Order: sequence, then structure tokens, then C-alpha cells
Amino acid sequence: MAHVVLKDLVKTYGSFKAVNEVSLTINDGEFVALVGPSGCGKTTTLNLVAGLTSATSGDIFIGDRVVNDLDPKDRDIAMVFQNYALYPQKSVYMNLAFPLQMRKLPKGEIDRKVREAARVLDMTQLLERKPRELSGGQQQRVALGRALVRDPAVFLMDEPLSNLDAKLRVQMRSEIKRFHQDLKATIIYVTHDQLEAVTMADRMAVMNGGYLQQYDSPAQVFAHPANMFVASFVGSPAMSLIPLEASMGNGGAVLTSAEGWSLELSPRNAQKVARATTKKVVLGARHSTIKLHKSAVPGAIPAKAYTVEPTGDVTFVQALLSGAIVNISVSPNIAVTPDEQIWLEFDQERMHLFDSETEMALEAN
Amino acid sequence: MTIVSGKAEARRRLQPATSDVLRKMWEHRADYAYVLPAIAVMLIVIAYPIYYTIELSFFNTPPGLQLRDKIFVGFNNYTAILTSGVFWQVTFNTLIWTAASTFISFVLGFAAALALHRDFIGRGILRAILIIPWVISAVAASYIWKWIYHSDFGIIGAVLVELGWATRPPNFIDSVSTVLPSLIVVNIWREFPFAMIMMTAGLQTVPEQLLRAAKVDGANAWQRFWHVTFPHLRNVSTVTILLLAVANFNSFIIPWIMTGGGPSNASHIWITHIYELAFGRQRWGVASAYSVLLFIILMTLGYFYVRALSGNERKDGSA
Repeated sequence: MAHVVLKDLVKTYGSFKAVNEVSLTINDGEFVALVGPSGCGKTTTLNLVAGLTSATSGDIFIGDRVVNDLDPKDRDIAMVFQNYALYPQKSVYMNLAFPLQMRKLPKGEIDRKVREAARVLDMTQLLERKPRELSGGQQQRVALGRALVRDPAVFLMDEPLSNLDAKLRVQMRSEIKRFHQDLKATIIYVTHDQLEAVTMADRMAVMNGGYLQQYDSPAQVFAHPANMFVASFVGSPAMSLIPLEASMGNGGAVLTSAEGWSLELSPRNAQKVARATTKKVVLGARHSTIKLHKSAVPGAIPAKAYTVEPTGDVTFVQALLSGAIVNISVSPNIAVTPDEQIWLEFDQERMHLFDSETEMALEAN
Repeated sequence: MTIVSGKAEARRRLQPATSDVLRKMWEHRADYAYVLPAIAVMLIVIAYPIYYTIELSFFNTPPGLQLRDKIFVGFNNYTAILTSGVFWQVTFNTLIWTAASTFISFVLGFAAALALHRDFIGRGILRAILIIPWVISAVAASYIWKWIYHSDFGIIGAVLVELGWATRPPNFIDSVSTVLPSLIVVNIWREFPFAMIMMTAGLQTVPEQLLRAAKVDGANAWQRFWHVTFPHLRNVSTVTILLLAVANFNSFIIPWIMTGGGPSNASHIWITHIYELAFGRQRWGVASAYSVLLFIILMTLGYFYVRALSGNERKDGSA
């Protein structure tokens, strides 16, 4: 296993910048998820690490080697692809053996490694089958196995679960997590599904438009999103973002809505607002940090229920507030009907404030 | 006891099945009525000629008699063919012609497809130029090549003499030993673009991700070709080779126009020979017997072609 360092990595296609000065350090044995919407540059970044595309500028280190000019086969990496990329004419055994054959290992050693990988992934009984005789989950396990036999310095995984159905995806998610824990492998995992990143990764690198937005542990990213993009991308349902106007006065601060209501901020939040470059700020709140009241309470803001989505454990209520849709989760025994008058109370400790101009999170100090 | 009941059981099961089929046909009588005209036309233009050819192959048709006064000779035509020296010479020519044309056209076409698969400046133009031989009418191409090979005015002979490689222009198509290879060259020139197009289409369906996976697994360009591209092209290769083989077996235009089968049968292949027997010497019976033999051979090839095609579908369905 080895650590991986990306330094000011840039990849341009003509005038289009797919990857923009991305710098990342992935520690030895760490599971890092590259996450972002389609076209954010996450797969390009992975291909740069794999050597399937060459960087326009910047450096890639695997271990202590600069690998910029090395072929994929010389980088000591293994890759798992979205469509599994199994060789259809070869049996599972031959698929697993292929990377070892290419490295001209002795037959006995290949056989030992293939059988060991098959045992670890619990597919010894599948070795003689052809890929088309396997289910999607089994195929993906073979793809993992083909990466495993190589014993590479780094595992690269490109959306390995997105071809599976929902139930299987959850199951394979824990299998890959287990795989990482058992092997203590360095894994770079690309996904567009923030839930996969949050549940599996030690650290997640959120990307958008070719830029790295935030690189931290899922808990930190969730609790302290660096900007409005990360805030709205990570977490489900997404964080509600409400555009408001800030006004300062006698040591405190008040957020006013165009709808007429206003919200008095705590001293700490007032401090944040004071650092904004503009008076327009955006209030961010996750569904679980908003309290729903059925009657007027001091400090609560009047709103109208828009839709109600019971999910069993919790009921999600969407309300219209200052032109934005606000998600609130409530206990299923609280009955809310659409168009009902409700009052919302924000948790000042757990609310987020963003500069609407720079879209960056406002910090107290 | 058990046997009897078993038979009864079988009969009971069989009977509803036949009446089932009839009932289903009756229920779908309108559908059958719709396809009836097409079936009738096909019977007239396909089935009847086949039947008539088979019938004729058992008769002798002396040039002096009208065709309706033909004389029944049983299998005489077949035995006459199989014991004649010309038959074996023509068969040998046909095999050489078919095998060499098919194999070399396929290899050249595949090579061209691979060469043109990579993106480079002028690829489109080169591809268009390479397709020209296939687009030109075979008759025109035959006349062009007749001139190219001409022993007095041909460009190849002139170039060879100019270079000092020959003292006088060689007789490409007037010599028993060189005529067949010379015609095969023309045939390959004409049909390798077909193989190129087929293999280009096949190459475009090779999954990019598999090639990338092989790259990461450490396969070099040749190994990627051998382990990923080539297995993926197996079915399209089979179909291409079979189509080429059938077309070559059935070749007529190039040998007929360029040499008419000569000199002394050295470039006769089955179809030109049959044509000459039938329309040149009016020996309809013998020509028909030849045709029946050819028909049997081609049907066998056709069977493998259909099998290769359905093999393709089975694979696509599961992928």
C-alpha cells in the first residue's frame, strides 16, 4: 500500500478545463471518495491517477514516485470499472489470472493467488463460469477480485456500484467497506452518489466544475460545508438554503425576509454575518435542525406547508419560505396537511450562514 | 400394461397438439391470406427454378432437339461430370480461387480496418479511396485490369521492362500458369474493401472500458488486441469470411470478362463453366447437374452462415 499525492493537477481538453489545480493527499490505507455531479472532473481525476489520460500540468505521486510519465501497468494500481469490464470470453478464473499472466508470474503462483482471492471474495464455486453467467453483484465481485489479486499500491474504483440495483448496491457497499477494513488498502473511489461517499469513505473530496470544493471527513463536510455547493450536495434531503437580508444594530444582527418576517441572530451568528462582503446572506439549515410548531412560538417564523412526504420513520414536510423550499423532518405522529399554517424554529447552534456573493460559508473567527 | 397406457397417453397428447395447430392456423387465416401473394411469388421465382434445374439435371438436351423433347438419362449427367477431367480441374480452380480470394481479402481488409481505426489526419479520405474498388462496377473493373495486364500495352509489363526486371512484358492472363493468380489479385482488389467495412463496424463495437481495463492489467498493444479486440470480433469475422466465401464461390464477372475461362480452362471456375456449358454449348442437362452440386455446397455454407448469425444474437442478448 502507498499514499497518493496530487499536486496542482490540471487537465484541459482544448479550452475546456476538466480538472483545475486539484491538490489532494491520500494517506496510506485511506479510503477517499471523489464525489460530485456529472462532469465535475472526478472521473478525469481518477483516470489521471490511473494513467489512462495524461495530465496537462501538475504532478502525481504514488508512494514516493512521480508517476506522470509512467504507463498504467507500471504505476502499481488496480482499477474497478462501472461496467465491471470483465473479459467476456474468459472464465472467472482466467479473468482473475489475466493481470498476473500479463506480469509473467509463474503458473503455480498465479493459481495460488487466484484461489486466495476467490476465497476472500467467497466465489470459489464461480471460478469456471463465464461472466455472462453471473449476476451483476457477482460480476462486480469478480472485478474486485481482479483488482485484489494484483496486490496493488492503490485501488481505483470508478462508480463500481452504479450499475447495480438499489438493494444490491447497499449490500455491495458494505462488502467494499469490509474489503477496505480487512486489507487496509489505499482506495480512491469515484461516485456521484454522496450517500456512498458519506457511508464508505474516510475522507471525501467534493468536486464541482473541475475544482476541488472541500476535502475532509464526511462528518466534517456534513457539519461544516465550506460553501453553498457542498452544503446542497451533501446530505439527503438537501440542506435548505434561504436567501435573506442582514442588518446590523447595537451589537446584534437581524436577518429579514422579503416576506416581512425577521430572525434575530445569536451573538456568534451575528459575528459571522459581520464578516460578509454583502448584506445579502443565505441561511442554510438541515431538515433535522428545524423545529416545526403547529402554533405561534416566540422566535418561530410563520410558513405554509407545501407538501408532506411520509417515509415511515420520519415525515418530511416541505414549506415555502422566502421563495425557497425548506425541508423539515418531523415525527410521523405529528399530522401536517398541505397548505396548513405552521411555524418554523431554527436551531441557531446548527445553522449555516453563507455569503451570497462568494457562496462561501461565513465563519465566526 | 404400462406400455399400452403409455402409448395411449402419447396418442392423447399428440392429437390435441395437431388439431391445436390447425385450429391456430384457422384462427389466423386472415394473416395467412395477407402473406399468400408473397408466398406465391416466391414459389414461382425461387422454388420453381430450383425444381426445374433439378429436373433438367436428369435429362439430356441435344442441341438439335427442342428443350421439351429432352431425353431422360437418370444420373448419367452426374456420373459424366464426376468422371471428367475438366470437372476436377475446374473444381480445383474454384477451390484455389475461393480460398485465396477469401483469405487474402479478409486479412487485407482487417489490416486496413485496424490501420484506419486510429484517428489521424486524412483518415476519412483514405477510407473513401480504399472503398472505391468495391464501388466500381465489376465489369468496368475487369476491363480496366485487362488493360493493366495487357502484354503489349499493359502498364505493369511496361514498368517491369522499364525497371529492367523483365526483358519483355509477361503474359499475365494468356499463360496457363499465371492466369488464375492474376485474376485472384483483381478479385482481392475488388472485395477487400468489403471486409474492411465489416471489420471497421466490428471494431467500433469493442468496449472502450475493456481496453482500458486490459491496459491497467498490464497488457501491451498486441496483448490488448489478442485478448480483447480479437475475441470480440470473432463473430463478425466468421460472418465476413462466410459472405466472402459464398460470393467467391459464385464469382462470374471477373473471370468471364477477363479470360472467358481460358487459356485451356486454366481460369474456369464453376460458375463460368456452368454458364459456358449451358449458354455456349446448349448442354442444359449437364449444366443443371453442375448447378445442383453447387447448390448443395452453397446451402451447406449458408447453414453455417445462419448459425454464425444466430450465435451473434445469442451473445448480444445476454450481454
